[in-house]
Amino acid sequence: MDKIENSEDEKDMADVLLRTGTLLMSAGANTGRVRNTVNRMAEVFDYTIDLHISQRSIMLTMLNENGASHFTIVRVTPAHVINFRTISGISKLSWSMVEEKWTLHQINEELKRLEQLPRFPRWLVLTLVGLAGAGFCALADGAPIELAFTFFASFIGLFVRQEALKGGFNPYVAVYFSAFAASLIAGACSKLGFSDSQNHAYVTSVLFLIPGVPLINSFSDILDGNVQNGVTRGFIAFLISFSIAIGILTSALIYQF
Amino acid sequence: MSWIFIVLYKSVWGGIAALGFAALFNVPMRSLFHIFLFGAIGIFIKVTMLHYALNIVFASLAGAVAIGFLSIPAAHYKHTPPLIFYTPAVIPMIPGILAYRMILGFITLTGNPKSPVYYTTLLETVNYGMKVVFILISLSVGVVIPMLLLRKDSVKDIKVLFVKKQ
Repeated sequence: MDKIENSEDEKDMADVLLRTGTLLMSAGANTGRVRNTVNRMAEVFDYTIDLHISQRSIMLTMLNENGASHFTIVRVTPAHVINFRTISGISKLSWSMVEEKWTLHQINEELKRLEQLPRFPRWLVLTLVGLAGAGFCALADGAPIELAFTFFASFIGLFVRQEALKGGFNPYVAVYFSAFAASLIAGACSKLGFSDSQNHAYVTSVLFLIPGVPLINSFSDILDGNVQNGVTRGFIAFLISFSIAIGILTSALIYQF
Repeated sequence: MSWIFIVLYKSVWGGIAALGFAALFNVPMRSLFHIFLFGAIGIFIKVTMLHYALNIVFASLAGAVAIGFLSIPAAHYKHTPPLIFYTPAVIPMIPGILAYRMILGFITLTGNPKSPVYYTTLLETVNYGMKVVFILISLSVGVVIPMLLLRKDSVKDIKVLFVKKQ
């Protein structure tokens, strides 16, 4: 593909690259994927770039033909909301732009479309997460009545989390509220005498909150050599787990388990 | 042979738990069935190995590696990166009960060290804690082991049998 000589076009190019990178990062991709995708896109347009990727921002330096830096731009990553549909869409985009020789304008349009893709309807997410809670209870040898309690506990727990996030609470506080609400509901199962001493429902009701994406990304980042990001994500995962623990212990205090 | 029914029952629930996380992570619709399948397969491998009295850490690692390997052909087939399959699918294997007992143990350990159960609690908490830590590491590393072994940056560079080249 012809190199775009104009410096204005170079700025546009850097803009598209950063937009892709920050979108991927906020959707929950690991650092290696962000780096590979942005580098691949730059390569298609025959540019050489250097990247610095951190949890909250991405920095990009455009290099000229001699390998000297031309200019550097920083872009702040929007709030992290896990969205695998975006990751999948950008992955497809980065391949089809090579095969079909897309222009910058086309890429921008596609990114805009990906940003506006609908999420799963809320009732469906709540129901499926409730079923996931019941699944965790079944995996821990819970009885059918405990499964029913865990379903409602996870359902209400996620609802509380969504409402707390909407209300502008800190994400860790939202997790705390959610874990507290879920374990309060599931703990009633034991208190009403439907559960044996193991309290399966009570323990498994908060498992829908476990920070799976930060945890897995943490290890894949460290293995990739992006140790800083890996440690950051690992610590985030630890903080979320800690909030869950505090939430479940608060209802343990109330129920005197 | 009744244990095989328990294993299948748990596998189905494992798949459903994976689906819940798939909805939470807003995966593309076309990958839902494979996520259910891989979640069920992971739990199937883990519970079967536990039935034969193998260590829970190795059982979890085996399940995670299986999910990681299966994600590669699925990524080709469904045109979506493998992390979309393996991330929701391994989460049902996270040891929630052990983690809860570990936290409860830590809380007890902040109490009076002269109490008669303190020593037993310490031993149990260390045991649960070590299991939790090593299971979490084996799950997170297990799913990327196939990519590390195949030494490619992208699944598109890996040749997969039975999937037609586009």
